[in-house]
Amino acid sequence: MPGSASSTHRPEGLIERLRSAAADGGGGGEAKLKVLRELKNQIIGNRTKKLSYIKLGAVPSVVSILSSASSSADCLLVQCAATIGSFACGVDAGVKAVLDTGAFPHLINLLSHPNEKYLVYSMVGLPHPYSCTLEVGRATLLRIINGIHWLARKKLAKLSCGCLVVDAGARALKMIYQSEVAPKYDFFEEKNMEFLISLLDKNNENVTGLGASIITHSCETNAEQRILGDAGVLKKLIDLLGGTTSQRDASLESFATIVKGNPEVISEFVGPENGRTWGILIELTKDRYPRTRLLACVCLILIKNAAPSYLQSVGIRTKLILVLLELLDDPGQVGDEAVLTLSSFIADDESLQKLAFEANTIDKLCDHMQKELLQAKRLQGIFMTLANLCSNLECCRSIILQSPKALNVITASLTHATVDVRVAACICLKNISRSVKVRSFERACDIVIQISLSIVAKNHLCQYLSAGHFMTEAVIVPLIQLLYDTSTSVQVAALCTISNLVVDFTMHKSLFVQSGGVKQLVQLSKSMDSTVRLNAVWALRNLMFLVDSRCKEGIFMELRALTLTSLVCDPSASVQEQALALVCNLVNGPVDSIEYVFTEDGLLLNAVGRQLWSASKHEVLIQGMYVLCNVASGQEFHKEAVMQQLLPPASNEDNNNTQSIMVTMLQSDVAQLRTAAVWTIVNLTIPTGAGALARVVKLRNAGIVSQLKNMANDPCLDVKLRVRTALQQSMTFGDFST
Amino acid sequence: MQATSKKVITRDEWEKKLNDVKIRKEDMNKLVMNFLVTEGYVDAAEKFRTESGTEHIDLATITDRMAVKKAVQSGNVEDAIEKVNDLNPEILDTNPQLFFHLQQQRLIELIRNGKIEEALEFAQEELAPRGEENQSFLEELERTVALLAFEDVKNSPVGDLLDISQRLKTASEVNAAILTSQSHEKDPKLPSLLRMLLWAQNQLDEKAAYPRITDLFTATLEDPFV
Repeated sequence: MPGSASSTHRPEGLIERLRSAAADGGGGGEAKLKVLRELKNQIIGNRTKKLSYIKLGAVPSVVSILSSASSSADCLLVQCAATIGSFACGVDAGVKAVLDTGAFPHLINLLSHPNEKYLVYSMVGLPHPYSCTLEVGRATLLRIINGIHWLARKKLAKLSCGCLVVDAGARALKMIYQSEVAPKYDFFEEKNMEFLISLLDKNNENVTGLGASIITHSCETNAEQRILGDAGVLKKLIDLLGGTTSQRDASLESFATIVKGNPEVISEFVGPENGRTWGILIELTKDRYPRTRLLACVCLILIKNAAPSYLQSVGIRTKLILVLLELLDDPGQVGDEAVLTLSSFIADDESLQKLAFEANTIDKLCDHMQKELLQAKRLQGIFMTLANLCSNLECCRSIILQSPKALNVITASLTHATVDVRVAACICLKNISRSVKVRSFERACDIVIQISLSIVAKNHLCQYLSAGHFMTEAVIVPLIQLLYDTSTSVQVAALCTISNLVVDFTMHKSLFVQSGGVKQLVQLSKSMDSTVRLNAVWALRNLMFLVDSRCKEGIFMELRALTLTSLVCDPSASVQEQALALVCNLVNGPVDSIEYVFTEDGLLLNAVGRQLWSASKHEVLIQGMYVLCNVASGQEFHKEAVMQQLLPPASNEDNNNTQSIMVTMLQSDVAQLRTAAVWTIVNLTIPTGAGALARVVKLRNAGIVSQLKNMANDPCLDVKLRVRTALQQSMTFGDFST
Repeated sequence: MQATSKKVITRDEWEKKLNDVKIRKEDMNKLVMNFLVTEGYVDAAEKFRTESGTEHIDLATITDRMAVKKAVQSGNVEDAIEKVNDLNPEILDTNPQLFFHLQQQRLIELIRNGKIEEALEFAQEELAPRGEENQSFLEELERTVALLAFEDVKNSPVGDLLDISQRLKTASEVNAAILTSQSHEKDPKLPSLLRMLLWAQNQLDEKAAYPRITDLFTATLEDPFV
């Protein structure tokens, strides 16, 4: 053959021929067919070519050929629909181009195209056997027709009409509806619902598949789920589960869409008491086809998630976990989705996490992730499943901690190119590091390191200790890098992980500070995004927890009183809470730490005081009270400053009008807030202080001591014990009550 | 003693039991038909249909499937691709792995026929973008292009790609995909039934002595060995 495949298939040449074919109006059938087939065979399976032909404007020409084709030009119609369908398959730009050129109504028209078999009969001039009334002749006629039918099919095959017009049209529409960019179908329009039902009723798998795709694509709200349920769609979908593989899978998918998160629809149409549906779904988890097994599991899990009373049987729960684990062996999309499904199945349910643990999920996943080159979605699913397993169960964490290889894969994925993988790796590390064992072990090491004398020995020990653990520069450095990530979700996930890692272990803290993490944390605490801000402050709070003085100073220098003050006054209550907790950790420890809130004319302390007077959320009040509590544990003038915040001069003289916030807090329903308040009073009334007597008098005048007396039998033991101490201390100066 | 713990079932008893099992003739016919259709024996299937009167099966789909298979087996991959696309455009559009393997086979055929220039151009234009999409494709592509690097390809580490078995592998992958798209199982049921028979016999061997079928070809019952 002269010429290579590439020279005759040059896109520009093909486009030119396509354009002139389209300009030919109703004529030029053969030429049109030829160029369409060529185009079709170029683009099927080939994303790059689809995109380049879309750019070259191929779609409008194809649609124009379709719109001008005569309704009897079956082959032409099939080729047009197949080409349009392929442009729409897996390429959003293709779907847009197809919709923009108005192909939609033409494709819908193809669905009502007369059955090709009848056409064949009319082609050869014979009546259809079922329309033949002569009983005697029917058998003979049938035999003749079978022969003709066969011949006709051969002929059609030669003309390359491999499939029916209706099939081609339905396939193309299905491809469109499988794309995100397709328009939503309005189920509330009566005519639309009728049309949808008619699709599901057709005895053609492409047409029913189209119906199912419309549902999967468009059904989102509870009201839409409801109206589809009421119209009997669920029942029809269940009936279709008995059909071909593709019908089954498409039906399962739209079934899942209709029941998702809707306990009402579930209780009415599915569930164990609705024996048939339930039984079919259970049965399909054992199906021969992996995709069918996966979808059946998805449906059952959705039912369980929306209506937890279903799927109580431990046997079935274990079975689902095993089926999903087995599907992991599928190298494609099914395996990817299976592991994500498993992750969502066990999320937030400790009993399921236990079952998954017992089914050796961790070993299987750890083996799997080291095995081969894994696609992003697979890695994400594995990390999320491991993260969920480690969210509660110590046994799971310890298995992963004992597998350096697994930890390496997770750590290495912190720099993965895909956002979702980076987020999942962060969450996974966070949940693994929650380990009590790690905590207590590392704390012990911490102490050992602090007391060990020689620096060489210390370094040696550090290396030795961290060898078995993952909290090394190899983890910290990429985590800090993630704080600079362009994706907010990655930043938040990294912040959460850092929060968790830096909370307890001094070595981690100094490693983090040395690696330059504080600067970016402070930067993020000024973010416009309140979630980022919140998590950044949270991480700073944990970093500040029991940190040594040098680190503390370093962090404060970076943060500055001004920034901290504005965080304490942040518009978001959660940020206020974390910021106050951060201040609380800041002033905790050696007495000179308290000085931090007095810098810049007590800017920070005043802000804390203001929050105590104005905030309404008890979480904020508790943290604010603990700040004062810590400050009140300091020297005389520290205590006096706290008194100033609690009993400002105005209320001091006119305490009938303004009740001290202290009284309000002591009367709170929240035990933790009462604890913090009483504790502050205990610190203020320690009898050894020079000004203790004066403070007791002030507190008494403000009605606080009598409020304390009312609390002698507080239901909370913590409160009760501290009230007793506070009263004893104030009594040291004599009882002035009489 | 082991011998006494096993129940012995005589030939008469066994045959009586076998006679009690009723299998419908239509089911047997369907099994045979399933075998013929799956394996692609279209003429035999056509004959069997007229003789046994089993339900109508669209035999044209077998012819088409066999034509595709044959095209790959004889190295006409482009022709095979066109045929598959006529049959059902969804098959190659939704199965990137199969599509890649067909394109890879096309490249192998170009190299086999010494069309080096064309092979290089094809690899660059058609296959390289697929490799960018998928790491494992890239590795396979690299292996295939390595064919061009060897003087004596047959004895090179990638020589197996030129082997006829590579064509057969690709052909059977297409065949399976077409069968799946027609909601037809990839393998006929008959062999798995035979496997089940052997498995059941092995299970039963532990508990009883009975007339066994050892020779599947003749399916004769052997006298129980006691």
